Parts: sequence; structure tokens; C-alpha cells
Amino acid sequence: MLIHFILLFLFAGVPYYVYLEKTKTLEKEKIFFLSTALLVCGIIIDTLFPQEVSMPFVIIAFIASLYSLYRANKTTNLYKLGYYVLFFNAPVLMLFGPEESVLYALSMLLTLFGLYFIAKYYERNYGSANYQSVSGITLVTPYAGLFLTIYLTALALYPPFPNALLFLNGILSSDTHFMWYIINSVIFFGNFLIAMRVMAKTVFGKPNDNVHYVDLTLKERRLHLFIVIILLLLSIVGFKELLS
Amino acid sequence: MENLVLFIPFIPVLIAFSLGFLKQKILMPKISLFFSSIVAILGLFGTYYVMTTGEAIYGFDGLLVYNELSAILVPYVAILGLVIRKFSTKYMWDEPEYKRFFILLNFIFSAIYLLVMSNNLIILTIAWQLMSISLYLLISFNVESKSAIKNGGWTMLIHKLADLLFIIAVVLTYKTFGSFDLAELSQKWLEMSKLGPIDNPVIYVIGFLFLFAAMMKSAIMPFHLWLPYTSEAPTPVSALMHAGVVNVGGILLNKMAFLLLLTPAVLNVAFVMGLITAVFASLLMLAVSDIKRSLGYSTVGQMGYMIMEVGLGAFSLAIYHLMVHGIFKASLFLESGSLIHQARKDPNIPKRLSHEVFWEEKPQYNSINMFRMIAFFTVLPVIVFVGLKFLLTDGLEFNAAVLILAFAWLTGTQLFLSFFEVNKVNSPKVIFALISSFVLVLFTYEFVGLALEHFLYGEYGPLFYEVATLNVTGAMTIFMLGAIMVVGWLFTYKQHYVNVPVGKHKPSKAKWRFYKMLAKEGYISDMYVKYFKIF
Repeated sequence: MLIHFILLFLFAGVPYYVYLEKTKTLEKEKIFFLSTALLVCGIIIDTLFPQEVSMPFVIIAFIASLYSLYRANKTTNLYKLGYYVLFFNAPVLMLFGPEESVLYALSMLLTLFGLYFIAKYYERNYGSANYQSVSGITLVTPYAGLFLTIYLTALALYPPFPNALLFLNGILSSDTHFMWYIINSVIFFGNFLIAMRVMAKTVFGKPNDNVHYVDLTLKERRLHLFIVIILLLLSIVGFKELLS
Repeated sequence: MENLVLFIPFIPVLIAFSLGFLKQKILMPKISLFFSSIVAILGLFGTYYVMTTGEAIYGFDGLLVYNELSAILVPYVAILGLVIRKFSTKYMWDEPEYKRFFILLNFIFSAIYLLVMSNNLIILTIAWQLMSISLYLLISFNVESKSAIKNGGWTMLIHKLADLLFIIAVVLTYKTFGSFDLAELSQKWLEMSKLGPIDNPVIYVIGFLFLFAAMMKSAIMPFHLWLPYTSEAPTPVSALMHAGVVNVGGILLNKMAFLLLLTPAVLNVAFVMGLITAVFASLLMLAVSDIKRSLGYSTVGQMGYMIMEVGLGAFSLAIYHLMVHGIFKASLFLESGSLIHQARKDPNIPKRLSHEVFWEEKPQYNSINMFRMIAFFTVLPVIVFVGLKFLLTDGLEFNAAVLILAFAWLTGTQLFLSFFEVNKVNSPKVIFALISSFVLVLFTYEFVGLALEHFLYGEYGPLFYEVATLNVTGAMTIFMLGAIMVVGWLFTYKQHYVNVPVGKHKPSKAKWRFYKMLAKEGYISDMYVKYFKIF
């Protein structure tokens, strides 16, 4: 019971919704780091103290995740998007077995760190991590467009990226029941909606004439390439897990 | 040596990665074409191997297979891919994102090969989804166009729903049958079908999930909207969509054919949904004013026929149909560019093909001779064939699938007629030519279609017809599908012959409402916009 409560607290963004959002004591960037740290703590606890799935807690996490989905579809800030995606995926992390949760959380964190670095790049070049007016980056900043497409495709749960493979691995390994179908369907579709909405407004669209577009620097490109390579390596792990 | 064939799905990925490092624009299509030719050669070699030895090629621990279905579809996709790449070389030359286009094109071909050659449900799931994302990026290739992005969003929404149903079906299949291996599963399903009726509702649920996933990707109504509305994509992408992507539903159902032996109700639903789609899409095809959308609805109608064929147990016919339709539709799309190009120079273009073929004086032969030739090479062999069949067998067996194929073809001719503006003077000759080629289609089916069925399913072919329990008599099929033809031709006739009096003439309310409903495409797009304001 206590473990389930702790997991709910760590995964579903309780500290954020209860305190941080209202008081605004932390910047968005720091909330992102805090959320990832809480997720890592949750995963460690889940691995060290494996428990049976508690449906009431999963349902509470699911309700919170629906709210996160709503918030994620409202925001235009990439930092905020990062932690909303984390909170949104909380129920599946509680539903999956410990090993599957670790792998799925790892792939999600890696993708979100990629998104975080894109947000940093936005902040440096366009003044903030808000993507509202910076559209059509595929045409004007092809490297930024390419990496953002990769991260969003991964978040939308499309193969060959590990998120999709490890999500599939998680659902194949867990026991099915009525709530399982509803939760997995909503998470599967919700991740897609969040990612596609951002893709339509950033990667696609007409470049804004009032914005001076600057592409990723060589150093940033190497960093993103490194993240993508790790993602692909994780895909191989995910593929092996699926077939085993 | 034959195992090389199994590398086919990975070659386009290699092409895509190598294109990523290329700087010279001129080398991109050359490399793409060279390696695609290798894929085509490998495909043909694989087909030759499967046909001569009668054995499937398994590899990668049984994850991939080059079996009878692959032997037919891989060369088809490979040759289609070659044509589309060759066409794109010049057509897309002035596009700023030339490299990105070729990379995405190779990714989608890789996904299609993987889908066709997969022997494992996990691989099939990956390929199924890979195709969706590649398609989205290709449809939205013109990133500056708002409507292209919006319609790409619709496409993705429907495809993601298909992915979800597919994944649930895979999970249920694994939980019920304990395997991902398709060859093993097919064997299991075949043995189960011999034991008699199945009373496990989960198997029916699996069948329905696979059917609906297939219907969504094959643009069957009411999930069709993504196809007619994505005509803004570059022409090679349109050709690929109508000749390749939309066929994956048929391919999936063929892969799951032995599962459907256990679920006759699924086949019946497939038939009904296919029929509704065929009728409605054929009507919309004639009513919409946008020619590319009209082609889109034509494809939707053909997919309806294809699903109807599956519903009747004619799985091999569905494959034959999707290939023939794919070649026809791809050629229409790929030809459109040169026609527009010519029309810019010559105001008399497009000329009426019917006029060119039947009226213009030909130096080599006159039109009467040509008609004799058509009659000689089409009608006569059929009479001989039918006569022989009567003598050798108990007579012509009713084959609903043949009729569907025939009527599917007739719907195609409606499109043909409306494109080439039949007039009073030459219509009998045009219609005679069309009927001759219709006869030819039937004739070809009797030989090619049945040979294909024997090649794909061997002794099990007739089993599917037995399972398809929907009692469709010849009279019913003729009546239902004949209605499509009559309505379509009447519509075409009225559109081109009749002088509608302007001003005083008022159409009846019922007619007007019917036309309004067709012009608004059954209000389905409005409904999508109203209730799914997600994108």
C-alpha cells in the first residue's frame, strides 16, 4: 500500500500539481529535472520492492494522466511538454512489470532529454522554449527539424524507436483485464496525439518571416546524434526483449 | 544463395542511409535506382526459386519468409518502386527537399517489403506501424501547405487507430494461441478449422480486430477519408499510395486467411462493408468535381470490391485485384504530370482518347479491321473456352468472385468514360471496346486467377469458399453490382449527353437532396471535422 502510494506520488506528478505549479518556486527547466529525478527514484523503488499491481492506485494515476494529457495538449513550451509526457505515462509504469517499466522509462527519459536539448536550443536562439511561432523548421533548420522529428516520432510510439518496442514489450508481458485495455489504449493514443500536435506546429508549417532561424551547431548535432545512437541501441534491446 | 532474398527489406534502408551522406544531387536517384534494381532482381530470383522448388525461404530465425505470397508481391512492389523512383528523378528535381523525399521513399518501401515478408506477428506489427509514419512524412512532404499537413493528420489518426486495433489483436493472438510465428499459427488454425465450428468468442474478436485494422488502412468506409483527401501529396506519393500502401489491408487479410477460416462471421461483415464501400464510393467518384479526389474515391471503391472478395473467401482474387488495380491506378497518376505539361503547350490537350482510337485515320489499318481484331482476340477465345468448359465439366459453376472482379472492372470503366467524355457519335464503339476488354479480364481471371489461387493456397483454396457462409447467389450479385453499373453509367450519360434546361428547370427535391449528399461526400468529412477536432 505504502509503496503504491509512493509510486503514485513519484510518477504521476503529484508534487507538481499540488505545490510547484501553484507557487511557481521553480523554473520549468528545473521542474523537468525534478520530475525525471522523481521518476528515476520511483523506478528504483519499483525494482527494489516489487509489488502486485494495485488497481485503485493505477486508476488514480490514470485520472491524473488524463489531466496531464489535457495539459500537454494546451502547452506550447517544450520543457513543460517534457514533464507532462512523464506524468502522462505514469499508469503504464505502474501496470508493467519492474523490468519492463525500467526499460520503458529509460527510453522515455532518453527521448525527453533529447527534447530537453532541443528546448535549450530554442531558448538560446529564439528567446524561450516556446515553439508557437517557430514553425516549418524542416525547411530552414534541417538538422533541428530532423532531430525533433526523431524525438517526436519516438514519443508518438512509432518503431524503430525503443519507446514503441518497449511499450509493446510491456503490454505483452502484463496480464490483460478491462482496465488494462482502456489504460493502454489511452496511453498509446495519447502519446501519439501529444507528439503529432507538436510535430504539426514545429517540424511542419510555413517558416515565420519574423524569426531569424539558426540551425544546430556542430557540437549540438554531435550531442543529438549520440542520443539517437543510444536510442537505436535501446531499440535493439527492445527488439530482443520482444522476441524473447 | 537463395537466403540473399531475405535481405530485400534492408536494402532500401541502406539506400536511405547512404543518401543521407551524399552531397551531389545527381547521384541520389542513380544510387536509389541501382539498388532498387538489385531488389527487383533479387525478388524475381526469389520468385523463380519458390516456383521451381515449391519451397519457401525462411531466414533470421524464421522471422522473415519468402513464400508464395512474397513471391507474387515482392517483385510487384519492387518493379512499382523502380518506376516510381525513375519518375521521381525528374518530377521532383526542382523540389528543395529532394534528398529527404528519396530517403522517405526508401523507408516506406522497406516497410512494405518487411510487411510482405514477415513471418512473425512482432515483425508484422513493426512493419505495419513503420509504414504509417513513413506515409505521414511523405504526405506532409510539402511542409508549407496547411491543407497537406491537416490531411496528413487525418491520415495518421486513422492509421494510428488501425495500429491500436492491430496491436490488441496481436496481444490477444499471443495470449490465445501462444505463438507469434505466422507459419505455426496458420498450421494451428488450419487444424482447428477441421475440428468443426469454433465457440471461443476471443477468436472472433481477434478476427474482427484484424479485419477492422485492415479496413482502416485500405480506406474502407467510413475510414476512407484519408485517401481521397491526400491528393495534395507529390504525384509519385499518390501513385504509391493508390498502388501500394492502400493494399496492405488485403495483404494482411491474406496473411491471416487461415484464422478467418475459423470466423465466418468476420468474412460476412467484410463482404457487407466492402459492398457498402463499393456502392457508395463509386457514386461519390462520379459526383465529386476534383479529378484527383475522384481517383481517390475510385480507389476506395476498388478496395471495397477487394474486401468483398475476401468476404467471399476469394483471397487469391483479392491479391490479383489489388495488383491489377495498383498498376492501372499508378499509371493514371504518373501519366497525369506529362498530360498537364502537354496541355500547357497545346490547347487541344487533353484530346479525347476515344476519338484518337476510333475516328482518326490510321495509316497502318482502318478502324473496322481493328474491331475485327478485338473480336477475334477477345470474344472468340472466350467462346471457345466457355464451350470447352461446358463440355468438360458440368457447366459453368457460379463464381461470385469472378462477377465481383468483373463489376469492379466495370466501375473502372465508368471512370474511364467520365474522363474521356463519351459522346453520342462514338459511344457504341467505345463501349464495345470496353466490353471486349471486360471479356478479356474475365478470360484472364479464369486462367491467371485460378492459377494464382492454386499457387498461393494449393489444395486449401476451396476451403475458404466453403467457410464464407454468406449465401450470395448469382442473381443477388448481378442485381446489386449491376445497380452500381447502371447508376454510374446513367450518371455519366446525363453528365455528358443531356442538355439540362437552364433557368426554368427545377430538379425534384429528392434528386436534389441525393445529389447534395453525394456532392458533400456523404457528410463524412464534415462529421470528422465536427467530432474529431484534434488536429
